[in-house]
Amino acid sequence: MKLFAQTQLLEDVQGKGLCVGCGACVDLCPYFTTYRGKTAMLFPCDRETGRCFAYCPKAEVDYDEVYKARTGRAFDGTPIGPHLETYKAKAGEKTAECTFQCGGTVTALISCALDNKMISGAVLTDSEGRMPKPRLVRTSEQARDCAGSKYSASPTLSVLNREAKRGVRNMGVVATPCQALAISQMKMNPTDKPDFEDPVSLVIGLFCTWALDARKLEALLAEKGIEGKIIKADVPPPPAEVFVVETDQGTVEIPLSEVREIIPEGCSICPDMTSELADVSVGQVEGEAGFNTLIIRTQKGAELVKTAISQGYLVTENLEGDKIHNLATASANKKKRALAKAKEMGLLNTPDEEGRAAMRVSEGALNKIQP
Amino acid sequence: MSQLYEGKKGEKVLFMGNQAIARGALEAGVSVAAGYPGTPSSEIIENLADVSKEANMYVEWSANEKIAVEVAAAASFAGLRSMCTMKQNGVNVASDFLLHLVLSGTRGGMVLVPCDDPGALSSINEGEARHFAKLLEIPLLEAGDFQEAKDMLKWAFELSEEIHNLVMFRSVTRLSHASGSVELGEIPHTEPQAKFVNNGFILDPLEGPIVSAPVGYKHGLQQDKLKKAEELFEESPFNTYVGPENPEILLITSSGATLYSREAIHLCNAKDKVGLLKLGTTFPLPSKLIAKHLKTTDKVLVVEEVLPFMEENLKVLAQELAPEVGQKTFYGKRSGNIPMTGELNPDLVATALATLLGDAYSPQDQEYQTKAAQQVFFNAPVRDLTFCPGCPHRASFWSIHNVLAADNREGFVCGDIGCYSMAFLPSGFSTLKTLHAMGSGTGVASGFGKLGQFGLDQPVVSVCGDSTFFHSGIPALVNAIHHKSDITMVILDNSGTGMTGFQSHPGLPVDAQGNESPALDIPTICRALGATVEVCDPFYPYKTQQTFHKLLEAPGAKVLVLRQICALSPEKKGKKQFEMSVDEDVCLGENCGCNKLCTRVFRCPGLRWDEEKKVATIDEVICAGCGMCAAICPSGAITRKEVA
Repeated sequence: MKLFAQTQLLEDVQGKGLCVGCGACVDLCPYFTTYRGKTAMLFPCDRETGRCFAYCPKAEVDYDEVYKARTGRAFDGTPIGPHLETYKAKAGEKTAECTFQCGGTVTALISCALDNKMISGAVLTDSEGRMPKPRLVRTSEQARDCAGSKYSASPTLSVLNREAKRGVRNMGVVATPCQALAISQMKMNPTDKPDFEDPVSLVIGLFCTWALDARKLEALLAEKGIEGKIIKADVPPPPAEVFVVETDQGTVEIPLSEVREIIPEGCSICPDMTSELADVSVGQVEGEAGFNTLIIRTQKGAELVKTAISQGYLVTENLEGDKIHNLATASANKKKRALAKAKEMGLLNTPDEEGRAAMRVSEGALNKIQP
Repeated sequence: MSQLYEGKKGEKVLFMGNQAIARGALEAGVSVAAGYPGTPSSEIIENLADVSKEANMYVEWSANEKIAVEVAAAASFAGLRSMCTMKQNGVNVASDFLLHLVLSGTRGGMVLVPCDDPGALSSINEGEARHFAKLLEIPLLEAGDFQEAKDMLKWAFELSEEIHNLVMFRSVTRLSHASGSVELGEIPHTEPQAKFVNNGFILDPLEGPIVSAPVGYKHGLQQDKLKKAEELFEESPFNTYVGPENPEILLITSSGATLYSREAIHLCNAKDKVGLLKLGTTFPLPSKLIAKHLKTTDKVLVVEEVLPFMEENLKVLAQELAPEVGQKTFYGKRSGNIPMTGELNPDLVATALATLLGDAYSPQDQEYQTKAAQQVFFNAPVRDLTFCPGCPHRASFWSIHNVLAADNREGFVCGDIGCYSMAFLPSGFSTLKTLHAMGSGTGVASGFGKLGQFGLDQPVVSVCGDSTFFHSGIPALVNAIHHKSDITMVILDNSGTGMTGFQSHPGLPVDAQGNESPALDIPTICRALGATVEVCDPFYPYKTQQTFHKLLEAPGAKVLVLRQICALSPEKKGKKQFEMSVDEDVCLGENCGCNKLCTRVFRCPGLRWDEEKKVATIDEVICAGCGMCAAICPSGAITRKEVA
């Protein structure tokens, strides 16, 4: 991993419009902050290397290095990444009812992990008005308040950084693929901090095609005259081509073409749809309401799922072969698009003499993905 | 009681120029003095206010300079002697009223005392009041030393009463703020009675209504007054000549430049070649006196500060006099011998003189200069132009800067005049992005706030001090509210006119003379005008920032009052609210992710970086104990303990 600091981060990420506001650089030092979904620099810092740059998922990410450190295997471009098993899943009886995005699998797993003290707390994304508001929850009741997709980029990792600085350890995090990548880089202690202790013991990854710029989403909703409290937002599978917003005053559909305009540029170079660096990944099952796709990736993830099933938090079923196939195709397409875009922008495997790259990927993976 | 009032006739005292001016006013029997604080003028009113009760005077700090002139004019209209003081910018503010006043004329002697600031030592412009004398068509007097400052000021009242119009007496920083020997005169002990006579014939300037119309007629009267003044100037003892009968060079100067010119002639050892004509009456120029001196030589060097005011007037006069005195060659600013900007000094004048005399003059020995520069470089500590330790402005700008940065919409601040003007520098986190006249921050912001229809989507903020709010901030806020301009006005209320030395203003419960006065409440005024108003203490940055964020999001004109008394205010000075300390075990020093936030970014002079221990320390001597640094240390290493 090539290490730089604030100046280069501003140039490479903020300057090129690639910041997705994940919060990885926030609250490590007093200079990066987040407000209403945007990451901002307060004062310049003249250090030569910094965790802000090292953790950022859009600056000099060496995919082989990160995948080896996290999964034990190099990044080979496999569509849905390293995994042990795949299922369909939904919340079981033990998981209390709330507004789930699909099957309530994430809430079920977090509740199970908290109730069984497998984690000391969970960093989740709540809402404040129409803005995503990350927070550390300590109980399964609090976790249920955060259920449902926010569809906007959330600075979740800022809370992880803040709590880690306060000495909280053994945290669980519900992360988008970019956030799971940032956490994986953090776990490597890239700046060799002598007192480093990994504060994260569980990562539940979310499937993600893109998130939306939180401020622009708020403005779009205002422009559409959407009032009232948002209960849920969703993008139904093709050929629907709409963004559905459910509020306490009714449901509104916005054409997807309008919504695509407020996707942060940084999402377009993300090759990961299924949060490949998480312990378990959760997403929608195409065409089947009330169920999630569940990918178990690590032993820790497998143990959590096993406990959740045995204690009634979670119910699983086999995932049909065609559904796995469709997921893999969509995932492979995302990789292809992302790498092509990064290449076009000169940010893929950029030679040293031409500057810094956003991502570095091996020859083998490139051959497989064929951007 | 000071010598200002107690000093007896004939006594010689050391007076600052502004004290000499104040004494001159007392000797003239002035009844009313009004002004607005502004360096270098402030001590005149302060000194008069101190003795106002004994001297049976009314002295006030007016809300702004225009009002100060209006207040003083009323006294003149009622037959009393009155004066008003201000810095050069103040005349701009007062000029609207002044242009009418000089047409209507005055009754009791009235003198306008602007103090200019060549070199802008305490200003952000180098404007001169002299040009207003020409624009206003009134006599202009300029004292050349401290004795004259007193004597000429007194004479200015006699002149004003002789011509029944306003007289300008102009000072400069080096006259107002330097000190010299002054021989005192008598202070009259009279009891002037005020009466405004206004029932006379409409065109009678002394008993009728006082108006500037009919303009043609009044303007004619005014110009007759100026002619009369010129005649009096011909015999004025304040115009002096020293030098040979036929000098090689005639040096004409006035005001503070008189002292530099005397010294320059001495430095050039040229008293036999150079004649020094020092003018105290610089507008209108006494033409007969000038003609007399022009006849004695062919070369004229005009020495004055900033623009060639006297030089140009002299050239016009010389052209008119050419048939009588012959063609002269003028040297000065137009010829490039004297600089057009900044202050003068004896070296600059000596260099100009030497060039004209064909001699070489080196201000200082080259070796000495090199050594002196080295001493400064190696031994003088690098100092910022910065806010004092414990200054609430540092805390305010910390929050304003951080909120605008976090808000991330390229918001900016329109600045204004006061200590807080320094916020365009790193000490205020380079927060100010425009800086002009008093009250202009909010006026400019009001304009920016209406540019939304042209795509401007940056948040617009203005800052304004408490004294500035009353001076000219209110009309700007009124404008912003009425036009639904999207701005947030931050009023930095430090309970005094801090920059000029804690003069009172309408927001304080005391007036210039120390009388109890009704204090006007700024938040109440702003609410009454229709603004959304919040009040915070800048030493509580979290609450301040949350409130400021909320206001920035709201449409229309909003006001945030950040209220905290100035660290140097008499009630606070020397009293620490908190005892500050740094826990050396908690301060991570260079290992902190903050990279010395406290001393590198926050930069309160009360914080020091201990190069040996590599930790932050408190400078006990200058720390004001405000507690703010405890709120900014990311490691919580700086702690505060309430002083019992």
